[in-house]
Parts: sequence; structure tokens; C-alpha cells
Amino acid sequence: MVNLTIDGTQVTVPKSFTIYQAAEQIGIKIPVLCYAKKLLPFGACRVCLVEVEQMKGRLIPSCTTPVTEGMVVTTSSDEILKVRKTVLEFLLVNHVIECPVCDKGGECELQDLTYELEVVTNRFVGEKFDHPTDESNPFIERNMNRCVLCGRCVRVCDEIVSYGSYSFVERGFETKIATAFDRGLDCEFCGQCVSMCPVGALLPRPFKFKARPWQLKHVDSVCGYCGNGCTVTFGVKDNQVQTIRFNDKNGVNDGNLCIRGRFGYSYVNSDQRLTRPLVRKNGELVEADWEEALTAVAEGMNRGKGTGIISGARLSNEEFLLLKEVAAAAGTTNLDHSGGECYKGLTEGVQQVLGLSASTGTFPQVEDADVILSIRSDFYETHPVFGMVVNQAVKRAGAKLLVVSDKKGKFTKLPNAETLLGKPGTEVNILNAICAVLLESGKAVTEGVAGLDELKQSLTDYAPARVAEQTGVSVEAIEAAAEQLAAAEKGAILLGYGLSYTANSRELGIAAANLALLSGLADQDEAGLYVCGEKANSQGAIDLGILPGESGLGVQAMLDAAARGSLGALYIVGEDPLTSFPDGAKVEAALKGAEFVVVQDLFLSPTAQAADVVLPAASFAEKDGTFTNAERRIQRLRAGIKSPGEALTDFAIFASLLEKLGAAASAATPGETFAGLGRLNDAYAGIDLNAIGPQGVVWGGEHLQPKVRNLVPVSGREPLTTRYQLITGSALYHSGTTTTHAKGPLEAVPEPYVELSREDAAELQLAEGDQLRIKGNGAEIRLKAKIGARLPKGVLFAPNHFPGTGLNRLYKGEAAVVVELNK
Amino acid sequence: MSETAEKAAEQEVDLTACNEILDQYQDMQGALMPVLQAIQDHYGYIPEETVHLTADRLNIYASQIYGVLTFYAQFHLEPRGKYIVRVCMGTACHVKGAGRLGDRVKELLGITHAETTEDVKFTCEYVACIGACGMAPVIMVNDATYGSMSVQKLNEVIEKYQKMD
Repeated sequence: MVNLTIDGTQVTVPKSFTIYQAAEQIGIKIPVLCYAKKLLPFGACRVCLVEVEQMKGRLIPSCTTPVTEGMVVTTSSDEILKVRKTVLEFLLVNHVIECPVCDKGGECELQDLTYELEVVTNRFVGEKFDHPTDESNPFIERNMNRCVLCGRCVRVCDEIVSYGSYSFVERGFETKIATAFDRGLDCEFCGQCVSMCPVGALLPRPFKFKARPWQLKHVDSVCGYCGNGCTVTFGVKDNQVQTIRFNDKNGVNDGNLCIRGRFGYSYVNSDQRLTRPLVRKNGELVEADWEEALTAVAEGMNRGKGTGIISGARLSNEEFLLLKEVAAAAGTTNLDHSGGECYKGLTEGVQQVLGLSASTGTFPQVEDADVILSIRSDFYETHPVFGMVVNQAVKRAGAKLLVVSDKKGKFTKLPNAETLLGKPGTEVNILNAICAVLLESGKAVTEGVAGLDELKQSLTDYAPARVAEQTGVSVEAIEAAAEQLAAAEKGAILLGYGLSYTANSRELGIAAANLALLSGLADQDEAGLYVCGEKANSQGAIDLGILPGESGLGVQAMLDAAARGSLGALYIVGEDPLTSFPDGAKVEAALKGAEFVVVQDLFLSPTAQAADVVLPAASFAEKDGTFTNAERRIQRLRAGIKSPGEALTDFAIFASLLEKLGAAASAATPGETFAGLGRLNDAYAGIDLNAIGPQGVVWGGEHLQPKVRNLVPVSGREPLTTRYQLITGSALYHSGTTTTHAKGPLEAVPEPYVELSREDAAELQLAEGDQLRIKGNGAEIRLKAKIGARLPKGVLFAPNHFPGTGLNRLYKGEAAVVVELNK
Repeated sequence: MSETAEKAAEQEVDLTACNEILDQYQDMQGALMPVLQAIQDHYGYIPEETVHLTADRLNIYASQIYGVLTFYAQFHLEPRGKYIVRVCMGTACHVKGAGRLGDRVKELLGITHAETTEDVKFTCEYVACIGACGMAPVIMVNDATYGSMSVQKLNEVIEKYQKMD
């Protein structure tokens, strides 16, 4: 610790602090423009100059100068104010003054500083900038005439997002921020740069001329897309979410968001939303009132053949609890969520080995991890903001990143990243081989671990040399990975699960958990194994047991039973299985076979179109409750707006339905229901809803120790050897099918595509955008070609978000589908 | 983009040489400047494709490379003539009538400062002092210096290069 005096006040701070941070700690606010707390110090704007007695003769930039023992700092004096004022005068020489029409007006840092320092005249005259405005994309407007060259956008895009869109170009007076070759912005449009810009140089286009900042009501909630669980702050006016506000003051993500969180909110305001219940009459879905619709639902569920309930994973915890009560009232244990197969890795695999069905650590613990192993999915695409955490660990803390995957992505390009690029579906083989090396080299942690001999026995099939031959990953890479994981003091293994990653999920859960045990990662005090659900409340669904009850059917079994005609009713909540589940034909047969189908959703999805009753539900922005994210963090959702028309929250619908079924909800409001969650899961007991602050509450504490230590032998797969194989997954711009209703992501990636390697494209003489016919599993679909460097030869990738492509006519849940490819 | 640059962009650039240059520097830290210099030596300028290739292989953002390229006057993003005619506009040359030399180049070749002839044979550049004030006014064509210039002598020099390939 270091002692220093600032404006006469003694302060003791860590020696890594800068003068600015030390002053901030005692409530002294030094003005800044280029400084941002989540970025590295830069020192570009010279607004934060202070006097230091030991460094007389010049003014010192407080945001870049580290504190030293005995320092005596003055943050405000006549001379300092004069210099700060001059700095502003310089900036205002060429900054265009168009505050009346600038969306930043009212929250512009330059405007505020000018006002605060009373810069009413300018002693200097010069040319104003006259750069054209970049409006080449639908999200971010760049008006470089308003830029003050603080470099925050350049730095956030590099340090945190690792995309590198911007750079300072030219020199001297001509210096400006530009993209490569000064073109229009073409990036992943996370909008991080917009959130960082102190002035109106970077603005969210969807929000242009919508409202002045002070007219907006701010409501803190949780993003409804993926399991990352980022805090989002709605900017609400006229009962519409006008924008997502930048907020790094509270919340869990330092104000970081991806394109979905920042620009994907618009589906909430969509005019395609369902506003009234629909009931099928004479073959047509027609509008009805709630009374009629719910009576029909209750009747349909009581017809005797039994009901199956399939839920999505974007319901709140409280709604899950009520859903379980609905299941009980309907007398069924056929309850399950999402793809049914996709989270088996968690509930069966990891559970079997570690006795846990959740991540052991929290996201921030990964920030200073020394070794990170990312399995299968590129977290930049499934959980982009967690991806940013990993990025910071690698770039700032020098973490070693290992990626086991079947395609390249942003992770593989990070410095120090080693990619173990295997053939699709062979991740288990690779993890087994790493385990084999650990055991062979004697570096494995085996104390107190059961099942060692059986595992050793099974791993004889996974000698590195053999696995290398199978998968295409080199022996050296496998050995190096094992060595690094064994040497890790604070390691993290990341495993994503979701609808598009259903194959081998149980096996992969086991293999990853085995590795976590043998490498000692599971027994660290922090970090460890991260199992990250695809949807906003995937973890809540597992915690609260939205799973088949005793002798109950899982999703796949329900679909089979319905198709056979042996299940009377299907009640599908917040999910569009026809589009998003593997094996669409099976879903179609189930919807036809079931006597009665109810769909509860925001939109008239393809599944809803096949229903007998459609119930209009509320979006995440319209409800109170809690979500549990992939690091076990329980966070509060807050309603920002009212639902359109007669749409109701799932909570309200379940409560009414319970009445129709002759039961009653155990609590009247989500708030009261929260206390009841402890009945379903001990970890939720004793948490006070009102104590859940902006940081949420991590159930079980910041770190979970394994409850058991059972190594479990697990088999990998032989890779396909056909010329072409198709894999599916998530694309960055989308999340499930919901984003296809959101203007933001939809404008970035408006249509489905199939990605393939340059080599394959050359062989087929394909150009970007050419139509391709893909045949497999007895079906054929057509997709546009996207040519890139991410995929190995012979591997095709098609994202799974789009209805209408019929991807799931081909994809039946395999790791990779054998396909034929034709122009 | 100038017309010459547009034409260049239409032609595909052979990246073999760029790949060879990158092979040499692939594992060296902080090698961007020598890489760019070598690329410019080979191609005569920095074609855009080579920037993307360099970005990809050295794992540096293309935007960053563009920042470097625009910061240093030594790098050129558009094709340059085989012969670079540098007309010195330093004080001594200016006094001795360098302006008229510039005008004459424009008359002879149709190009002025920072322009390239359509056949990509000549590029004209007005430069500040090239350190040969004793021979003012001075022009340079590539590495050859021509001192005590007059409009008449300039005609001869340009004619000489026009006759060469």
C-alpha cells in the first residue's frame, strides 16, 4: 500500500493505483475524457492534469501516473483550471458544435466539461472537421466531426472485444479514428464503442431522434437472450424500450454487451407480437378471450391420455415454479425443457463425476485465470460477453488459452491461443487423450478420487498417438495442453451446452469433468469448470428441476409418444420446437399426433401455427422475477414496459390456468413466489429477494467444491470420413429463434447461410452467396454459401436460428451430419 | 480512390511474394515495419490484399496496419510510377524557380504533386529540401539527382526516361 495526500486529505491505496483512482476513492472527482475505468490508462486528452509537489515544473496527467509514497497532489488550482480550459478550447477549435441535434446532448462529457469550466469563448480559430458521416450499417452512426480522439473506441474494440475495427489514422491535424482503408464500419456490431464514446461521434442509429436522455426512464433488468446474464438498463419512453442504456456503474458485466443485448431488444416492441389468445375453430386460429382460451386448455389437458409439457429456458425462476404446479395439477410428470438432450451433459454427466450441475466459479474469476480451456463452442458466439472476459484474461493477464473445437473462431486468433482443431464430434476423444497424458505423466491429481482404475483401463484406447490419428490434432498439442492444465494454478474449463449442441452432451460433460478432476482444476479455490447454458435461464431450469419427474417422459420421449398418438396433449411454453429442435420431422409428427396442442409464446411461430390454442405471453422486458445465469448468479428482472394488448406474463397465465385446473398458485406474485424456490432447491433457500442487489446473488457462494469425485470412463466417437459433413450451432448475431424477430441481429445477419472453407469453395467453383443444395438424412435443403477461413476442408457450418430453412430436417441431433453438396 | 488505384484494384495481386516476405518475419515480434517496407519494395506500393494477408498471418488488425501506413509518409497505398520525379520545393530551389519546374512536369506528363500517369510510368512528388541546395533548383528521378535545372534541361531529362522502358 502507498500513502499520499490529495488536496490535503491523506489516502492509502494499493501501489497499482493511479493518482486518478486514488482521488476517486476519497470522492475527489478529477475531470477526464479519455479515461474509462475498464480500459487501460491512455493519457490522450490532458484534461485530468494535476499538480504534484514532487514533480514541480509541469502538470501531471493523473489518469496515467501511478501513485508513489508521500506524493502530495493538488487537483484544482488557478493554473490547473487555466490549462484544462485551454485544452477544451483546443478541442473545440475543430469540434463541430451541433449540440441541439446531437443525440448525445444532455449526457455528453465534452458538453458537460465545457459547461463546468465555463468555456464561453475560444481564443483560437481554426477549420472545423468536415468528414462525411458513416451510415453504412444499421446500428452505429459514426460522425467523426464530433470526435475528440480520446481513443476509447479504439481501445475497447481491441482490449475487450478483440475485434480491432478502429485505429488512429493519418497524423497531426489530420489524425482521425477510422477503420481499415477508411471504409464504412463492418464489424460484429456489439456497440461497445458506442457505449464508450464520451461525445456524439458514435451513436446507436436505432435510437436516433427518439428521445433526449433525460426523458428516458431507466429500468435495470437482465438480458433475456443467453446464459451470460448481463445487466441491461432499458431506456423507456412511451411504453417502449427505446434503447439499451450504457451502464457500467452497477451490474455484473462492466457495461459490456453484445449485439443481441445492445441492439436486439427491438423484438419486444415488434408489431408481430401476439396480443390476444387464439383458439382453433373450424381449422382456423381465431382470436378469443382469455376465459375461453384457458377453459379450452384445461379441457384439453384433462382428456385423459396425459399431457406433456415442454418449456423453453427463458422463463423466470418463479414461472418455472408455477409451471411445476401446473404439471402437478394436470397430474403429469412429463415435464422437460428445451431440446431434452442438450443439457444432459450437465444434469447427468457433470453430476455423475462431480455431484454438481452448475459452474463451479463465477465469470470474474476467469479474468485472472492462468490457463483456460474452451471446449467445442466458441464462447464469442454463444456467450459473447463471457468471451470478452476470456479475452481480457488472455490479453491483460497473459492467460494461456486452449481451444478444443471443430472450427476456428475469434478465440483461436487471440495471442497465446492454441487451437486443438479436431474433426467434428471428436471432442471427447481429445479430452480423453489429455486425461491419458496426465495420468501417464504422473501429473494427474488422483488423491481422493474414485474410479481411477476403470478410467485408466478405458483410456488405453485414447493414447495420444491414436487420438491424433483419429482427430487430426497433433500429439504435441495434446501433450502440451495436458502439461499446461496440470501446471495451472487458477485454471478454467469452459463448456457450453444448448439446442444446437445436443450430440455427445452427456459424454462431453463427463469427459470435461474427468479432466477438471485430474488436472486439479475442480479442487481450486476459484474458477474451475464452467457449464454454460444457451438461454437466459437455462441454469434456473436445471436448478428448479424442469425435468421429467418420476416415470415421466423427457422431451424426446414425449415427442415420440405424441407422434404415436399415445400422448393426449402437448403444452409448449416459450419454445419453437418445429424450428429449433433437432429432427424437425419428429416434432412435426408429434404435433400432428397429439390430440391437443397449446403453444404459449410471443410470436405466432411455426409451432404456434400448428397449435389448437395459442396464448400470448410477455417478454422479459415486461416482467418481474429472477433469472439464474451460467455462473449461478440469481438476478432480478424488472418490468420496463407493459405487454402489448392482452398478452400476459407466463406467471399470470400459469396462475389462471391453475385455477381452471381446480388448483391455486402457491403465491400470488413473483416476489412472493421467490421464497418458495427453496422448496425445489436448497441452494435457493434463505436468499432474500430484496437482498438481491445489482450484483445479484450467486447461489452456493462464489465457488463450489465438488460433492463427489468419481471418475467415469466415457467413450468418444470415430469421426466421419465422408467428403462433406455438416455441423450446426449458434451464430454471434443470434440467440435461439427469438433474434429473428429483432431488428438489430436480423439486419446484421438477415438470412440463413452455410459456411464452408475456401478450399471447398474453390473445388466447387463457388462464389459468396451462391445457392447450395445440401442433401443428407433423406432430406434436401438450400442455403446460400458463405466462404471463410474458419472451417477445415469438408466441414460445413449452418447456424440454427432461422425458421423456414428446414435445417432440422437434416439435423437430427448428431455431432455432424453426412451430407452431399451440390451447386 | 484515384483512377490508377481503381485500375490496380481490378487487377488481382499475386500474393506469392508477400507470403514469402511474411514467411521470413512470421515469428518475429514487432516486425510490421520491415514487412511493410519489403512489401513496398517488391510491389512498388502496398496493395490492399497484402494488408489483409499481413493482418491475417501476423495476427494484427488490418485497421492497425492502415494506421501505420497512413502515419508514415514513406508508405504508398496506390500504385506508383516506375520513375518517381521529385521536384524539390525547398527554400533555395523555390527561389531559383522550382515552381516553374513543377509546371513544366505538369505540361510534359500531365501530372502534378502526388499524381501518377495513367501508364503508371511516372509519379510526380513535390518534396521539401533534399539537401542539395548548392545545385538548386534540383529534381530527382528515382535515385539520380539532377542539379542546376532549367526548363530546357528538364525536357531532356524527362525525354530520356520516356524513352526508357
